[in-house]
Amino acid sequence: MKSKLLLSLLAITMAGAAVAQVKPEDAIKFRQSGYGFMAWNMQRIKMNVEGGNFNKEEVVKAANAIQAIANSGMGALYLPGTDKGTGWEPTRAKANIWTDKEKLGKVAMEFNKEANEMAKVAATGDAAAVGVQLGKLGGTCKGCHDDFKAKK
Amino acid sequence: MNSKRIFLWDLPTRLFHWLLGASVVAAVVTGQIGGNLIEWHGKIGILIAGLLVFRLVWGVLGSTYARFAHFFPTPAKIKAYLSGQWRGEGHNPLGALSVFGLIALLLVQVGSGLLANDDIAFTGPLADLVSREVSNRLTGVHHLLSNVLIGLVVLHVAAIAFYAHVKKQNLVKPMVTGWKDDADGESARGGGFLALLVALAIALAAIYGASGAWLPEVPPPAVGEVPTW
Ligand code: HEM
Ligand code: HEM
Repeated sequence: MKSKLLLSLLAITMAGAAVAQVKPEDAIKFRQSGYGFMAWNMQRIKMNVEGGNFNKEEVVKAANAIQAIANSGMGALYLPGTDKGTGWEPTRAKANIWTDKEKLGKVAMEFNKEANEMAKVAATGDAAAVGVQLGKLGGTCKGCHDDFKAKK
Repeated sequence: MNSKRIFLWDLPTRLFHWLLGASVVAAVVTGQIGGNLIEWHGKIGILIAGLLVFRLVWGVLGSTYARFAHFFPTPAKIKAYLSGQWRGEGHNPLGALSVFGLIALLLVQVGSGLLANDDIAFTGPLADLVSREVSNRLTGVHHLLSNVLIGLVVLHVAAIAFYAHVKKQNLVKPMVTGWKDDADGESARGGGFLALLVALAIALAAIYGASGAWLPEVPPPAVGEVPTW
């Protein structure tokens, strides 16, 4: 009897743990970190395109990093209620992320598509094409920020 | 009313005006589209900084009607204008309000832009002078004011259309040719070559300042200093 009770208690806590795997504060931190890390890699690509000494390896590393984050399912970090809260800084996620799902899905898919394309173009080592694709990819970041990231 | 032809807007004022108009439209379009155009946005913005500073100097050193002191809109002048008592050439007191408003707004727009960032891969050339937090806030200001600015520009153009159709006054032609028909004032004087050189020199200095070229460059890490992992 006693062990059964213990067992069910254990089961309950474990189930709870599975649901609350990511604390809201951490979810906000993780998504902010993801975007910030992508921004670093965008800048790396940009420096290679602009600087005149294009380093294909650098660009491939950066593009692959962006592609990996883009395909990591970051949508899971937008837990209900985390339009408010503080991660590394107060969140700038706008409330319409949780309501305007159709539009959000569209801009997110566009972003994924261009991030995948970026990795492909980077692998060719064609500096001019990388520059063009960087603009397209950056445009999809902006496409989401315009509607779903709060202005300060 | 004597009707004669006068020289109203000197060439530098007219050039400034049309260059500014074209640049602001280009800045709004490139800012809203983003992508790689944000690079052009920054360059156009720096040009606008130069144009604005040029105009500020020209407002002191330029010819008669280009001078701020000539058209500064005091409350008395505005009252007189609204009751139909105002006489004069150049900017009327309400137009003058719009001129000062636009210039002030553009100065803040350029200033905030120079310190802004797009959270993607572009930062204003002077953004390193402030913290990221301040830069983010100024980016918000930049966004907000860009909408106010678009409103003011629309108002500006609407007022000119109003003068053309309702008041039967063509304000565009003098801003193109410099000459105004049926005027009741004297032709503009002053704003000679030397004044132009001074204004241009100060404007170029402003462009240099805005470009951030004077900021210490961060040297790229030497080969071998970057770990291979
Ligand atoms: C490669 C493309 C992207 C880059 C470089 C980028 C960059 C950034 C950066 C630097 C931040 C600030 C992070 C911080 O506060 O430290 C941010 C925040 C944000 N971005 Fe992006 N982003 C990109 C794509 C996207 C996409 C596609 C979306 C739409 C799903 C998006 C939505 C957001 C949101 C909602 C925030 C606020 C997050 C929060 O504070 O909780 N971003 N982004
Ligand atoms: C009078 C001149 C300028 C005008 C009319 C202007 C207008 C605009 C507009 C309409 C946007 C899009 C705002 C949005 O939709 O969020 C924008 C964004 C931006 N501008 Fe400007 N701008 C000017 C000068 C500058 C300058 C001089 C710089 C820096 C060199 C600059 C840097 C930026 C940046 C970084 C953004 C992106 C902000 C974001 O994505 O959140 N701007 N500007």
